[in-house]
Order: sequence, then structure tokens, then C-alpha cells
Amino acid sequence: MKTAVVLLLALLAEAGGNVCLSQGMREMSAASQPGSPAIVALLLWGLANPTVWLGMGLLGVFFGLYAVALSWADLSVVLPATALGYVLNVACGAYVLHEAVTPARWAGSLLIGLGVCCVSWSERRPALTGRTR
Amino acid sequence: MKIALMLAILILCGALGDVSLAKGMKQVGALPTLRLGALLVFGSKMARNGAVLLGLLSLIAGFLTFLVLLSWVDLSFIVPATSLHFVLATCGAKWMLQEHISCVRWCGTVLVGLGVALLALP
Repeated sequence: MKTAVVLLLALLAEAGGNVCLSQGMREMSAASQPGSPAIVALLLWGLANPTVWLGMGLLGVFFGLYAVALSWADLSVVLPATALGYVLNVACGAYVLHEAVTPARWAGSLLIGLGVCCVSWSERRPALTGRTR
Repeated sequence: MKIALMLAILILCGALGDVSLAKGMKQVGALPTLRLGALLVFGSKMARNGAVLLGLLSLIAGFLTFLVLLSWVDLSFIVPATSLHFVLATCGAKWMLQEHISCVRWCGTVLVGLGVALLALP
């Protein structure tokens, strides 16, 4: 139960962090000169943006929670659970950032979700037959 | 082309980071309680573990790549596309961490791969 709670908090922190990062990097792209800037200059621009720092802070929270979850459970249990964040991120991209998400992307997200469910289910079977978490 | 290259770097760094971090956290041991003292000891053990540090460095490298990618393409494309690292990390969990990967789990992994292929469609 505690692993599930920690993972849920981690997913929320990751989704929030990604949205902030995306917003911040877009602000930077909009303010930069036309053309393709060098990668280092791009990163320096990004690191001067407060929205990017908020995003990095939230991803730091995600990392801490993820590490704690890995100390309690196998990677093969923790990783599928965090993969559900992909679907959350696509939804955030669509509804928070108003990005154009095509039906194919939604279908892809659905398949990812189904795949994650399969993996989670396969990992629960040994737990039901004796392994406790 | 540059987007595909950066995505490949992001995926590899993510998979290496996950496997190394998982290996390191198993060496560090389970967090016994959420008290401040225990958290400090836990953090100190993590900071002195080589596998955790390798995992952290890989994840930071992946993060910087992710930042650059975010300025080029949509979040709703990048994040699902990076789920390919899930497939690589599954292989790493099997061969490097000796975790048991059942047939159902491999099916799930293939479904994730198909989902990623769909995301790449225009």
C-alpha cells in the first residue's frame, strides 16, 4: 500500500514537472532568435527560466520518491507503474498545454496502458502465490 | 534525424539509469521509516553507492537530452516515445538484475512497443 501511495505521488510530481518544463522551454523557444540555436545555448537559456526550475524541482521530488519505491519493490514492479505516467502526460499535453493530440497518439497511449496492465498483472501472480510486498 | 538521435540517447540513458538505480537501491536496502533521521541515513547511504550514482548520472544526462527535445517537439510526442526505454529496462532487469520475466510480461512489453510505433505516426 505504501509503495502504491509513493508511486502515485511520484507520477503526479513527474507529470507536473514535465508540463512545467515543456511550458518553460516553449517560452524560451518563442523568445529566441529564428533558426536552430546551439544545444549548450539552448540549455543555458532553459536554466535561466523559473518555470524550468519549478519543473526540475518537481522531477527531483519524483526521483526521490522513485528511489524510495525501488528500495521497497523490484524494478519490474515499479517501472510498469510509472509507465502509466505516459498516458497522464499525453492527457496533460492535450488539456493543459493544448497540444494537438491525434487519434493515433491516443490509441498509442491506450496500447501503452494495456501493456503496462499486462506487465503489472504478470508481476502480481507470484505475489498472489506467496511473495509479499 | 537529430530528433531520432536525441530520442535514442534519451532512451538509452533512461534504461541504464533505471537498472543502475534499482541495483543500487537493492544494495542500500529498504527505507525502514519516514522519520527525518532515517531519511538522512538513507540519503547518505544512497550518496555513497556507486550504482545509485551511476544511475543518477545517467538520468541527469537523459534529463538534459529531454530538455533539448522539449524545445523541438511536443511533450505529448516525446514522453510516450521514451517508453521504449521501458523495453530496454525490462531486458536489463532480466539479464542484469536476474528478475523473472514471464510470457505475459513480454506480451505487455510488445504492446508498449506497438503503442510507441503508433505515437510516431503523423
